Amino acid sequence: MFAEQLAGNLIQGLVLGSIYGMATMGLSMIFGVLQVVNVGHGAFIMIGAFTTMTVFTKLGLNPIFAIPFALVIGMALGFLFYYVVMQRLIKAPELASLLATFSIGIILEETVKLTFGSEFRGFNWETGKLDLGVTVLPYSKLIAAGGSALVALLLYLWYHKTRSGTAVRSVIEDSEGARVCGINVNWAYALSFALGIGLTVTSGVFLTMFIPVGINPYMGGGYTVKAFVIAVLGGLASPYGAFFGGLIFGLMENGSYTILATIKGVEPFALTRFFSFVTLLVILLIRPTGLFKSQ
Amino acid sequence: MAMLKVENLESGYGSMQVLWQPSLEVEKGSITSLLGPNGVGKSTLLLTVLGVVAPSGGKITYEDLDVTRMPSHDKVDLGLTLVPEGKHLFPSMTVHENLLMGAYRKEARRHREESLELVHALFPILKEREKQVAGSLSGGQQQMVTIARALMTKPKMIMMDEPSQGLAPKLVGEVFETIEKLKEEVGLTILLVEQNAAASLDAADYVYIMHEGRIKAEGKPEEIKGSSEIREAYLGV
Ligand SMILES: Nc1ncnc2c1ncn2[C@@H]1O[C@H](COP(=O)(O)OP(=O)(O)OP(=O)(O)O)[C@@H](O)[C@H]1O
Ligand SMILES: [Mg+2]
Repeated sequence: MFAEQLAGNLIQGLVLGSIYGMATMGLSMIFGVLQVVNVGHGAFIMIGAFTTMTVFTKLGLNPIFAIPFALVIGMALGFLFYYVVMQRLIKAPELASLLATFSIGIILEETVKLTFGSEFRGFNWETGKLDLGVTVLPYSKLIAAGGSALVALLLYLWYHKTRSGTAVRSVIEDSEGARVCGINVNWAYALSFALGIGLTVTSGVFLTMFIPVGINPYMGGGYTVKAFVIAVLGGLASPYGAFFGGLIFGLMENGSYTILATIKGVEPFALTRFFSFVTLLVILLIRPTGLFKSQ
Repeated sequence: MAMLKVENLESGYGSMQVLWQPSLEVEKGSITSLLGPNGVGKSTLLLTVLGVVAPSGGKITYEDLDVTRMPSHDKVDLGLTLVPEGKHLFPSMTVHENLLMGAYRKEARRHREESLELVHALFPILKEREKQVAGSLSGGQQQMVTIARALMTKPKMIMMDEPSQGLAPKLVGEVFETIEKLKEEVGLTILLVEQNAAASLDAADYVYIMHEGRIKAEGKPEEIKGSSEIREAYLGV
């Protein structure tokens, strides 16, 4: 009975973890290339959630169609914020870029609040369910998890098989070396920032497919914090490390939930968060660069 | 004919000015040497010429073209590149991948195979080690990769910033032999910054002496060698 419950929850954890991983890749990419920590990360996930809701409720389309919208909106925002703000701050002390991304997050939240209001929203996308015996998975969640894994694979291929991906990789390894090879380093920064934001907004679509409720302008904060934990698990600067970090985090969260729920008088959900952060601190202490190899 | 002409260049980092209007010319097909003690701005001059550091005044002319504010990637397209001080390789890429990065630009890519042949002829060891990760090479081999990667950009002119730094004496000799080969056999123009004043004076066709961001003396190597005043004041040899 307990074993079945644990197995079921771990499968759920793997599915959620895939989406968590996707939701962290943009953060890791931006950190890896520009050495900028995007404190406004969660606000971009929120933009993805609102994009999905609008596509579903206003346009009446399948949430899958929100993916191209989210990617385009995200990349446009990424290029805009890069050229208007970040470009000038790359050489400035770290605090400047932290405050800048923090402000960008708040500006986005308030803009969405002015447009959509601040109540919690949700929708219901009926897709049918897959019964695995130990647990039941709606196809919407499977699509979100599969889509996330596919994006991680595509990102890996982009980095290693394309010209622009290779250029970005060289900038990560040594930006002065990249310059003397004739790589336009400023363009590599702009592209990475835009792709990082594009991935993050898109991850908001997948997260909303998984949890189609609780959509509101301030929903991003919790995701920012989780993404930091996952990024550290995955090695900070490596986007596909982040994906595996997400899988581990999803398994940990759901696994510990099942175990904690067996203890009498314990509120398991609050404790899982507690354990996540204890894990984060322990990892930071023993392996400050994360569990996976980083640059 | 002057391939590169630098006039009254000014640049620095933030509010700290490093270059105080040095001027110099590099003749086509020559090895021109820039000498001077530590911290006088030699690297800053090369980085400013390539466009990695932005100039705040003066003029840079390359092949009769005003390139003062041209971004570095466009200069690489015109056949100008830099072997930076301290290597700046891509440590987790293989030797081969490092070389291919040198041929990133369109024009360089078109000549990639012949550039590879040239580089492998100059440094046979790089062919043997092509699958090895660059970060695991010895210091001397890494220096070869840096020079080779610069050659892959299909340059007409290379600026070299202390290519013999940190190498064993035997390897220093090899680096200088390579530099002379690049001039004689490949027909490159070279602007060379070196700590090793003696070897540099032997290789150079013309010499500039830099001090505190300014050019303090210039002349043919024999003239510099002949002036005990210059040698004692700036070179310590
Ligand atoms: N990235 C940088 N930021 C701030 N200051 C710098 C930077 N690079 C160099 N400097 C300063 O600029 C001055 C000139 O440095 P530069 O590296 O050009 O000298 P150099 O002649 O190449 O010296 P060396 O022979 O030691 O290589 C020095 O005072 C140095 O501390
Ligand atoms: Mg120097």
